[in-house]
Amino acid sequence: MQREILIVGVNHRSAPVEIREQLTFSDSLYDQTLRQLPTLPAIDEGVIVSTCNRVELVAATMEGDCALETLTGLLAGHASLSQHQLSDHLSVYRGREAVRHLFRIAASLDSMVVGEPQILGQLKDCYARAAALGSAGTVLHRCFHKSFSVAKRVRTETGVATRAVSVSAAAVELACKIFDHLEDKTAMLIGAGTMSELAARHLLAQGIHGIIVTNRTFDRAVDLARDFHGMPVPFEDFPRFLHIADVIIGSTAADTYVLTPAVVHQVLRERKYRPLFLIDMSVPRNFDPSINDIDNVYLYDIDDLGGVAEVNREERSREAQKAETIIEEEVDTFWKWLTSLDAVPTIVALRDKVEGIRKAELEKTLASLRDLSPDARAALEAMTAAIANKILHAPLTHLKQHDRQREAFYLAAARQLFDIEDEEPDDQ
Amino acid sequence: MGGILLALALAFYLLATATFSGHVVTGRDAFRRTALALLACAFGLHASSLAVRAVMLGYDAITTFQDELSFVACLMVGLYLLIALRANLTIVGALVTPLAFLFTLSSYALNAPSAALAPSLQNIWLPAHVAPAFLGYAVFAIAFCLSLLYLVQEKQLKAKRKGDLFRRLPSLEALDNLNHQFVTWGFVLFTMGVLTGSLLAKQEWGELWSWEPVQVCSAVTWLLYAVLLHARSVGWRGRKAAALTIVGFAVLVASFLSVNLVFPGKHGGTFG
Repeated sequence: MQREILIVGVNHRSAPVEIREQLTFSDSLYDQTLRQLPTLPAIDEGVIVSTCNRVELVAATMEGDCALETLTGLLAGHASLSQHQLSDHLSVYRGREAVRHLFRIAASLDSMVVGEPQILGQLKDCYARAAALGSAGTVLHRCFHKSFSVAKRVRTETGVATRAVSVSAAAVELACKIFDHLEDKTAMLIGAGTMSELAARHLLAQGIHGIIVTNRTFDRAVDLARDFHGMPVPFEDFPRFLHIADVIIGSTAADTYVLTPAVVHQVLRERKYRPLFLIDMSVPRNFDPSINDIDNVYLYDIDDLGGVAEVNREERSREAQKAETIIEEEVDTFWKWLTSLDAVPTIVALRDKVEGIRKAELEKTLASLRDLSPDARAALEAMTAAIANKILHAPLTHLKQHDRQREAFYLAAARQLFDIEDEEPDDQ
Repeated sequence: MGGILLALALAFYLLATATFSGHVVTGRDAFRRTALALLACAFGLHASSLAVRAVMLGYDAITTFQDELSFVACLMVGLYLLIALRANLTIVGALVTPLAFLFTLSSYALNAPSAALAPSLQNIWLPAHVAPAFLGYAVFAIAFCLSLLYLVQEKQLKAKRKGDLFRRLPSLEALDNLNHQFVTWGFVLFTMGVLTGSLLAKQEWGELWSWEPVQVCSAVTWLLYAVLLHARSVGWRGRKAAALTIVGFAVLVASFLSVNLVFPGKHGGTFG
């Protein structure tokens, strides 16, 4: 029996959107399931993390295997899929892996758009609902609070995609002010740079209908298009497709303009003057700036979007590495705390602590009372031992007896009240 | 009775205008909701005052310039409340409400005695002429507000200024589509008003078309909106369409004022 954390569910990497949709909980069902979670076999505490990219059940348990079965069954029943159908798409994290996964979600390292800031708020909401309904207990309280502080550390200590994210977010905000809704719009990427890729991901997350990708190296276009479920187009042919696109993002290394006012005029005629949003992500620029003077065309370059030229790949991966290191450290700290939440070592530590205090104080007293008889010394020894035992009796009985769901609470409380172990202070 | 209700409606229009301004400046949702509630109250009071008037005066209820102003304002607010239920178009109220206030205030301040209508006009053709014509004006007035907002938002997008107002205004596409719908409906109603007006003229004056000031002005306005709708069908959208809608409305208002105040003609000093 090992206390552990278990995360079972689907996310944007493990399952396609059709499956994720089936697993989404309606509002009333969400609360009902939350209340039900801690009463299920082997589940001590539970939180449902549900966002547009994931539905994952987080549970604290003492019997991992049994809990895994319970949660899988719950999800399969909820989605009306057979366990077999579901298992292809299910992602399961156990033990330290689960803690790491939760921390990575909070720090937005597991997001579709890495570094996007909304996920933390969503995670906090999910946790707050579980806390309000009493389905999260000592272990998950600690784990989620920890994940929030990890997210904060990652945000302040590393530059994971922040700049790129703000540029993409600005692009999406603009798209939403030009177009009423994105569901029937198409975006085209000319050149497959990191920034344009990120902007495309943001647009996809906002529900844009389709993505066309063109690149001088056609293979790269094919790769990226596959990633977006989009359409790759050979670079020589892209002008023929321009009129389909409502948003055009340029990020080629070309040193001449890829789009000129004349071409845009032509394209506009073909699309009956429906508005066109052009985003120039590259330096030197791909789109002739005078295009912005054309009616119904809105051209923004990277400066307009409040960004600076593309952060290079190396720097990005270095920052990501830094974030992973922070997460690893925090997983260690949390894991140490979690494994310490066991009755036997806690009781031993508690006894040691009190015994240590008793011995130290006794020695100090005896040192100042040199002319005490051996009998009197023995009596003092016996008395202090009796006091220590009597004080410890009630807490130790509680620690030994309580049912499992309360046990973690009492263990954590005892460790904190008696200041056992030199764990770092709780930052919440 | 009707006068008291109208005065109350005016007070509510003023309050709603202030609250809408608060929403535009601060973007706070409480202001938005309060403004809508105040405007709904104002509409209720205004509509009741018109109803009281209609019951008391019958066919004479809408005979003078100030009657028309008040009627159009009320229709305009009613229409706005209908679209405000839909999505994030509340901000349009920040233009519609002061406009309604201005119309109603002018109507209230003029306060001329209601004129008696020739008995020969007191038949079913009169409401058939007045109702679509005035509803058409109200629809054009909303289209005008939408166009103003479009131009503001378009300017901000082109100039790449992303201020608070930018965030509060709806998307260009939404404004443009709605503008198109409103101009289309306004045109249909206005056309109906002109046609029934001609029939009424035939009955009253013996000929369908007599180059009356009101007929000439209506024809010019009608032509302008017809051009706008045609231009849209060949791809004139966005800024140009918005500008033309504003010109159309300016011509409409100019006709309305000139026919009522400068060249009354035999239409009886009303443009409707």
